[in-house]
Parts: sequence; structure tokens; C-alpha cells
Amino acid sequence: MLRLFAGRFDLPLSRDPSTKLLPWIVGLMVYLATLALAGALLLSGLLNDWNQGLSGKITVQVMPLGDETVEETRARVTEAVRTLLKTPGVAEAKPIPLAEIAAMLEPWLGAAAQVMELPLPRLIDVTLEEDRSPDFDALSQRLAETVPGSTLDDHQFWRGQLVKLVTSLEILAALVVGLVAVAAVAVVIFATRGGLAVHREIIEVLHLIGARDEYVADQFQRHAWRNCLRGGGVGGLFGVATLVGLRKLGEQLDPALLPTIEVEIWQWGTLALVPIIASLIAMWTARRTVMRALSRMV
Amino acid sequence: MPAKKLKEHRAADSVVRFENVGMRYGTGPEVLRDLSFSLEPASFHFLTGPSGAGKSSLLKLLYLARLPSRGLITLFGRDVATIPRADMPELRRQVGVVFQDFRLLNHLSVFDNVALPLRITGLREATARKHVVELLTWVGLADSLDARPPTLSGGQQQRVAIARAVISRPSLLLADEPTGNVDDAIAVRLLYLFEELNRLGTTVVIATHNNALVSRFDRPHMRLESGSMTFQEPAAAAPSVKTNSVDSPSSQTTSESSVDPNSADSMNG
Repeated sequence: MLRLFAGRFDLPLSRDPSTKLLPWIVGLMVYLATLALAGALLLSGLLNDWNQGLSGKITVQVMPLGDETVEETRARVTEAVRTLLKTPGVAEAKPIPLAEIAAMLEPWLGAAAQVMELPLPRLIDVTLEEDRSPDFDALSQRLAETVPGSTLDDHQFWRGQLVKLVTSLEILAALVVGLVAVAAVAVVIFATRGGLAVHREIIEVLHLIGARDEYVADQFQRHAWRNCLRGGGVGGLFGVATLVGLRKLGEQLDPALLPTIEVEIWQWGTLALVPIIASLIAMWTARRTVMRALSRMV
Repeated sequence: MPAKKLKEHRAADSVVRFENVGMRYGTGPEVLRDLSFSLEPASFHFLTGPSGAGKSSLLKLLYLARLPSRGLITLFGRDVATIPRADMPELRRQVGVVFQDFRLLNHLSVFDNVALPLRITGLREATARKHVVELLTWVGLADSLDARPPTLSGGQQQRVAIARAVISRPSLLLADEPTGNVDDAIAVRLLYLFEELNRLGTTVVIATHNNALVSRFDRPHMRLESGSMTFQEPAAAAPSVKTNSVDSPSSQTTSESSVDPNSADSMNG
């Protein structure tokens, strides 16, 4: 039936006031869902980047002691590096040059040459072997013994905090997408029920001449599908346009403030699926609503 | 009488069979009382009676828009009370109905209205087109294929409604006042259409007020009065039979007032 008479409507659904509103509402919802989903995707990408950047790496910090000269500190750093390199599981230990540390602190302390003379903490960037990681507690203790004032940072604390934050944001985004979907389903149910009420007499005639419930439901579901695809498509386009705009805006900002956000092809693809999935949900909802309502008719 | 025996034998596969059927709307009084009759395949009956006698209600039972409050209705050999909902469309497709108020779909063209019964069965559009155009030409609406029903006169709408009812060659054709809005010439023409269908095997029931038409076509007729039914034979075969069975409402407490149509039919045969 769907194949033979595709595109034919025996019910004047397109003239219903309630279904005229549907594309707008669905468009708005798809827009919101697209943004929320984009947020979730970007956050999980960000988290991934952090994980990749931080896992397999630890940092050892060597604090200058009392009146220690820069040279003395450097000697202790070398000692720490030696200790680290002796530890099984450590692939590489590289002291970060003082100039680089000064550069990192530049936004706070300024670019003056005197900065170099300040008792700055020294950092050692440690790369771990891929398949085994050292016993952090033991390593931490050994470092404290051989190089007083050194601390080991395996980024677990920060990572844990970030993961927690990002995970909460992701859940929030998923919740928004879920709520939007529920609201869309409700809207489609109301619109479909409205249509059923408006066209009750026509549906009755269709029934009396032998139309199956499926025949009637088919009309409603195709109508819902088209309407939502239309509205959702526009909503999705606006969503993507908003994202592109935000990205452009982000590019103008200082890269130090924002992590670089790269939207991958599959992520764009996922976003493009939002209107289609929304329309499929609408179609299914319309069908269920009609079939249920009709089953109560004679 | 061999003719009678034959009729009785066929009663088992009557198109319609009513046994002590009563019907009421909600908690109101019974609008139909103790109806017992059967309609044989390819029979042709007029259904007459004053307005409010229950003609439309009886037709509603026949086209499955209503279920009886009591009694047994068998349609094409199936008890309508036990037909699963999913089987209803199949049964309804065998019943063509001309509604009193036409019930055309006003947003569809005349062509689409008449094509509807074919489309819901999934018939190929090209085949449907041929049939629909042919029939609409026959009822004199060849020039109005693309018109919307509201732009047509009452008589034209009626013909559209009739075309829609007969397009799928139903086994049972029910028409509620199908000639109410047309002049006599067209009324006769439409009745010829019904007769033609009847000759092809369709059982026809026509509810009408038009006594001139009834006498002109000289077919058996069922007379409803105050919810009870009497059968009357064609005037030519058995003039004014069963006049005594038209009872007053107060005496309609048993099914005796209903005449078994089989005996009436046998006289006809």
C-alpha cells in the first residue's frame, strides 16, 4: 500500500492547525538536541584528548630548598632524573628547561629576566613505558628520600576532577537530549490525537468502506515523518550553523584559554542523524497513537 | 413445495440473517425490536417505513457501524458479535453503502472519492482509474471528475456516493434514500444501476420514502414501523400481503410480528 500509493493522502492532514505547528516545535527541539549532543560529543572528545595527553605521563616537581642556588637545584634535578631512570617502568625522564617554565609563568610574573633567578620549582616530564607502570607509592617515597623537596604528580587528582566534571556535563547533555525526545514524543501524540479528533468522520467513512487501521495509521505516520523531517532538518541546520559560529568565535580567542576543539567527520554525521532519528521517532509515535486510538473505535 | 425446500436449504448461506435482533442507543428505548429475517444472495429489497421507524438503524447494523443490543446477526455466514476487529475491514469491503448524507470526503475530488474503495484494497492505480472513469461516466459525472463534492448539486453528490458504494462490486449493497435528491428520471436510472448490480449477484437493500419508485420496480419490500418489520411481496405477485402484521408499538413484545421472509420469498419463487 505504501509503495503503490506513496504520497497520497486521503485525510487532509496538512491543513490541520495542530500539525502546522509541529514542524516548528520539532525544529526547535532538534536544534536544542543538536546543541546538547554536540556539547556531549565535544566534551567526550576533550576528555579523550586529556587522557591521551596525560596517561603514560607523570610529572615530578623539585622545589628549591631554602637558599639553594639555581645550580644546586639543577644538581638535585639531575639526581632525581637518575633515580627515575633507574626505576623499572620509566621510559624517559626529561627535565623541563627553566626557560620553558619561565615562559609558562609569564602571564603571571611577566617576561623579565629576573624571573629566572627566582626560586622556581623545577619540573621533570616523565614518560612511562606503555605496558607497565611503576609503583607510584614506592617511587614517590624513594624520590623523597634521595631528593628532598621533590614530589611526584601522576595527574590522578586533576584527571579525576576533570573526569568527574566532564562526565556530569555529559550526563546533563544526555538528559537534555532525552527530555527533548520525550517532549517531542508528547507533542507528536497531541498533534496526532488532534488530527484523529478533527478527522474522526473521515476516518469513520474510511473504516466503513473497509480501510484497515494500518491504512489510516499509514497516512498519519507519513505525515508526521514528513513534517518532522522538514522542521527537524531546518532545526538541525540551525544547530550546525550555531556550532560553526561558535567555533569561529573560539578561533579568535586566545588558544591558551580554550582547548582546540576539532569536530570530526563522524561527529558531524551523528549530528546530521538527529533530525532523521527525531522524524523516525515521530513516525513511530504517530503510528502507535493512531493504532491505539482506532482500536477503541468500532 | 420444491421451491420452498430450495430456499430453506440456502438459508444457511444467506447474505444476512437476523434472529431476534434488538437495538437501542445507549440506555434509550429500543429502536429495533425482535427482527428476524434473512436476505438471500442476489435478492433485491426495498426497505420502507415512516421516518424514525429505524431504517437507518437497521442499515447501520448491516454495514457494521453498530452492533445489536441483543439477538444474533449473521453476515456472510459469520456472527458479527464474534468477528475479530482485524477481520472487519474484509467484511466491510463486501458491503457497499450509500449513506443518507453521502459522507463524501469533501477535500478529495469526485474521482478520488470513488477510487477510495479500490485504493484501500491496494488495487493498481491504472486499473482503478479505468473502472472509476467508466462508472462515473455511467452515472453522468464524466465532466466532474476533478470537482470537489461541495461544488456539486445534491443530486450529483448522491450519484458520487452511489458510484463509491458500487465501484468495488460489493456482495451486499445498502442504500439509504439513494434517490432523495434526484429527479425521477435520474432516480430510475440509478435504480437500473442497482438492478444491474443485482443481476450480477449483489444483494440489494434500498431504504426509501419514494413509494412511486417502490411500486414502479415491483420488488419485495421490508416495511419497518416502530422498530418492527413486515415483509411485503411485489404488488404483481401477491398484492397487499401481511398487512395485518403491521402492529402498533404497544403490541410489539414478541417476535411474532416479524414475518419469516423465507415463506414470503417462496411465494415469490
